[in-house]
Amino acid sequence: MPSVPVHANIPPMGIFLKCLLIFFVITLEARPISYSGGSTLMFMSDNMQDSIYYHYSPSYKFSIGIEGVKDQIFNKDLSYLRLTYLLDRKNTKHSQRNLYFQSGVSSAGLDTHFFGIHGDWETRRVFVGFGFKEVFNDFHDFTEKFIQTGFAPYLGDYGDLHTWIMMKSKHNTLTGDWNTYPALKFFKGNFLAEVGYDSQADWDIHLMYRF
Amino acid sequence: MNKIVLTSIFLTASIWADHGHNHAMEMEAHSHEGHLHDTLVDGKALEVDAVRFDNFMAGLTDSQVAIVSVNGMVCDFCARGIEKTFKKDKAVTKIDVDLNRGKVLIAYGSSTTIDFDDIKKKILANGQNATDLQILTI
Repeated sequence: MPSVPVHANIPPMGIFLKCLLIFFVITLEARPISYSGGSTLMFMSDNMQDSIYYHYSPSYKFSIGIEGVKDQIFNKDLSYLRLTYLLDRKNTKHSQRNLYFQSGVSSAGLDTHFFGIHGDWETRRVFVGFGFKEVFNDFHDFTEKFIQTGFAPYLGDYGDLHTWIMMKSKHNTLTGDWNTYPALKFFKGNFLAEVGYDSQADWDIHLMYRF
Repeated sequence: MNKIVLTSIFLTASIWADHGHNHAMEMEAHSHEGHLHDTLVDGKALEVDAVRFDNFMAGLTDSQVAIVSVNGMVCDFCARGIEKTFKKDKAVTKIDVDLNRGKVLIAYGSSTTIDFDDIKKKILANGQNATDLQILTI
């Protein structure tokens, strides 16, 4: 892929795809905080970028982490110091509700950063979530939001393979459009894999290992 | 082509899961012969999965089993920390998670003093809440 300067005129489709990719990264972090003392390693790859994100949770209330991104569109390597904080959690016998604050600062400088919130509510059968994020950088600030919902077609026991069928919708101020697409999520033991597909962004694969 | 691949992934996952369930049902057909675990000595109902409970109890002797009710334990991936946390406790000899009933089964040696507050702290460290404790001595 040819090198593209950061301030170059970006074709509309390039902007669209990049926004879609960023949206994928946000929505796939369904569990941004681990248990106390737990670590999580995430890997995401598609035709747009490669990303590796590691976070550690000193408490179940927050996580700190670093993310390395190989941006295929702008041909840039970026790294972020990230913080996620659990603002609120409600546990019941059959459900859990969460509200998170998320933020990140790039090694490129304080001007390149993001913050936002995202929340979810889930039972063993149903999941709904939403998110809102403000992104600031030296080439284009933007806002994005999403909603997603899903269901488990069967209820597996502890240790089984678990499957979720998801539907996601997102909006980005750069494109102004809502995009809706399906995704499948699988997890077994400490491994989680999520596969999303959009006809314009092609496949997006996200892997997670918790330890 | 992409839709075919997507559908194939889903069907494979479903078949794998169904296979696991059929196996569990076969085990359940054998699990109750001569075993009744419905009521505790104090008259409280024992709300556990019979198959999981029998499997957990197999091989345990001279032990205490703590049956902990947990709120917020809605997915396998988020319950992993509970198992890891209790396995670090040398007093714990065995642990299992019953997602369907929201229970955690923990086996201790017979001489161990089971502290519900300590259990609550360990569950909370994983982000869930322990609400009740029942103890069986075997």
